[in-house]
Amino acid sequence: MSDNLKIAITKGRLLEESSSLFEKLGADCSAVRKPGRKLVVPVSELGLSVVLAKAPDVITYVEHGVCAMGIVGKDTIMESGGSFYEVLDLGFGRCRFALAAPAGTDFLNGWKTRTIASKYPKVAMEYFRSRGMDVNVIKIEGSVELAPVLGLADGIIDIVETGSTLRANGLEIIDTVADISARLIVNTAAMKLYKNELLGFVEKCREALT
Amino acid sequence: MFPGRRRIKRRYFFGCRTYAKYSEYGTLFGFFGIRISLHKNSLADILSEKEVMRVNFGKINTPDGTRDSLFSECTDRRRIRGALMSLFASRSYCEVMTPGFEFYDLFVRAEDPIPQESMFKLVDRSGRLLVMRPDCTAPIARVVATHLKDAVYPVRLCYDQAVFRSEAEHRGATCEIAQCGIELIGADGLRGDIEAVAMAADALAAAEAPDFYIELGHVDYFGGLADELNLGRERTEELRHCIESKNFALLDGLLKDYSGPAARALRRLPYLFGGEETLDEAEALAVGERAHFAVKRLRDIYNEISPGKRGGRLRFDLGLVQHLGYYSGLVFRGYCTGAGSAVLAGGRYDGLLSDFGCELLSIGFAVYADTLAACLPSRALPGTDTLIYYDDGCLDSAVELLSTLPPGTAELSTFTELGPTLALARRKAADRVLHVSKGGISEVYVNE
Repeated sequence: MSDNLKIAITKGRLLEESSSLFEKLGADCSAVRKPGRKLVVPVSELGLSVVLAKAPDVITYVEHGVCAMGIVGKDTIMESGGSFYEVLDLGFGRCRFALAAPAGTDFLNGWKTRTIASKYPKVAMEYFRSRGMDVNVIKIEGSVELAPVLGLADGIIDIVETGSTLRANGLEIIDTVADISARLIVNTAAMKLYKNELLGFVEKCREALT
Repeated sequence: MFPGRRRIKRRYFFGCRTYAKYSEYGTLFGFFGIRISLHKNSLADILSEKEVMRVNFGKINTPDGTRDSLFSECTDRRRIRGALMSLFASRSYCEVMTPGFEFYDLFVRAEDPIPQESMFKLVDRSGRLLVMRPDCTAPIARVVATHLKDAVYPVRLCYDQAVFRSEAEHRGATCEIAQCGIELIGADGLRGDIEAVAMAADALAAAEAPDFYIELGHVDYFGGLADELNLGRERTEELRHCIESKNFALLDGLLKDYSGPAARALRRLPYLFGGEETLDEAEALAVGERAHFAVKRLRDIYNEISPGKRGGRLRFDLGLVQHLGYYSGLVFRGYCTGAGSAVLAGGRYDGLLSDFGCELLSIGFAVYADTLAACLPSRALPGTDTLIYYDDGCLDSAVELLSTLPPGTAELSTFTELGPTLALARRKAADRVLHVSKGGISEVYVNE
């Protein structure tokens, strides 16, 4: 594979899981797991350089073509959008977008316009638009569960893994908005220029995952 | 209630985000108004307010998505646009210019590729909605339908003008996009396609694009396969989206209940890109008349073009399925090394002109001149090495001398005396001063 192909990977849990995947492909990922202060780490066995980035930046780097590939959660893809190829569901980093409201409320019915707090305003807007509901969406940066507790919002749309934070704050899940997992994305121009290398890598990942 | 000046200033420096929020809620001007009227205590106060307001009202910044271009950036772009336009002219494409803003209605079509939110809107004096030109093809279709409706077809038109698209903030996208393109209007199917593809290859060659290629697709391939499955409109759109984004996993999921050759071909569609061998595979997978027609058309284009000098420049992507309601046949893109996205886009849009009551077959493409310029090495401009200092009554000789020297290397001194001219020459690091007098030209050494 061409030496200068770069893959941007979301730091944190997705990076751990991606390292495990690359190890299955025969790479030595000790440097990726412990990068120190380095932000670009070569993985010579795969002929790749791993770029460590925050989730929305992974999309930015891939979209602009400075990284040929990226590994990022579907949540970020849904919120940020962008133009790239989403070639593989990597299956790890599983969780879901859920709509939650204080236990016992009949959230989806009634005439009153609801207020929704979310870290993902675009996802929230699209969900309610698809249901034909008109809502106010307020963007919250931190713990979204606070908003209904404090009375700012009637419900929230957020990422849920176990649901224990929701229960601890008196909220219950009303609906699943979307299932989420990590995705392998590819820059559109790079796909054409390095077809064999990139599709070969995608196939190797797919085989290692099954 | 009456905070001191220092405190107000700090408020003004909150930053753009805060201002956006204030203006969103319609309180920005009220906010300023109150503060300013309360605190115009002294001249110093008023001046410093003005200072602050100048910064905040965007006198020194350009709006998001726009930028200034200086010196070699300008000449680099002009060179590319000049090369493209002279190529177009050499093939008898005639230039047209259309207004910078037009009625919004012109760009609203049922299957339009330009979403409403990406157009910049204005309101004219009678309250009608206008937009900054978001696309060059629809205005040219209007030109054809109005001014050229009695012309003898085919008509060949070209343009060099910017389009304006409101792009998401802070993503590095520009809102003002330079496009140089052609439209071949009223041309028979195959030969029209061949001419446009050959022109596209020649355009990127003329602009000296590095390692470029033109990628061809055809909307009837996907369209024909989807017809075979008899999916509803909504499912077809989902399927199209999966193929466009090469979302292999989701595509398999959507097609899991379908079997047979058409479903097999659709599953394979995202992989159907590459060289000529792609066409062989596409042909083997094709089902139905439309899909076979698409492959045959692509092969006919390839067979005509490939033996010539543009042979190595053609590739295929049958998964090129954007804007299906807009394009009606061949679609193509141009890529080159160094660009993260296409530098050329085009296709056949037979339906657009029929919207204006003209049943004409048309094909065209646009080169994104600025995206392309960014992939090319910049040619640095020369610095000043000569100052021309002239005596009274010697302007003509001085200008004549200037015009004989390489552009950008010499300039006229703005001083009437030699001393300041020499000082200026030293500051500009110019090697020499040429003194033009009634008696002739003499060289004065700067470092004497």
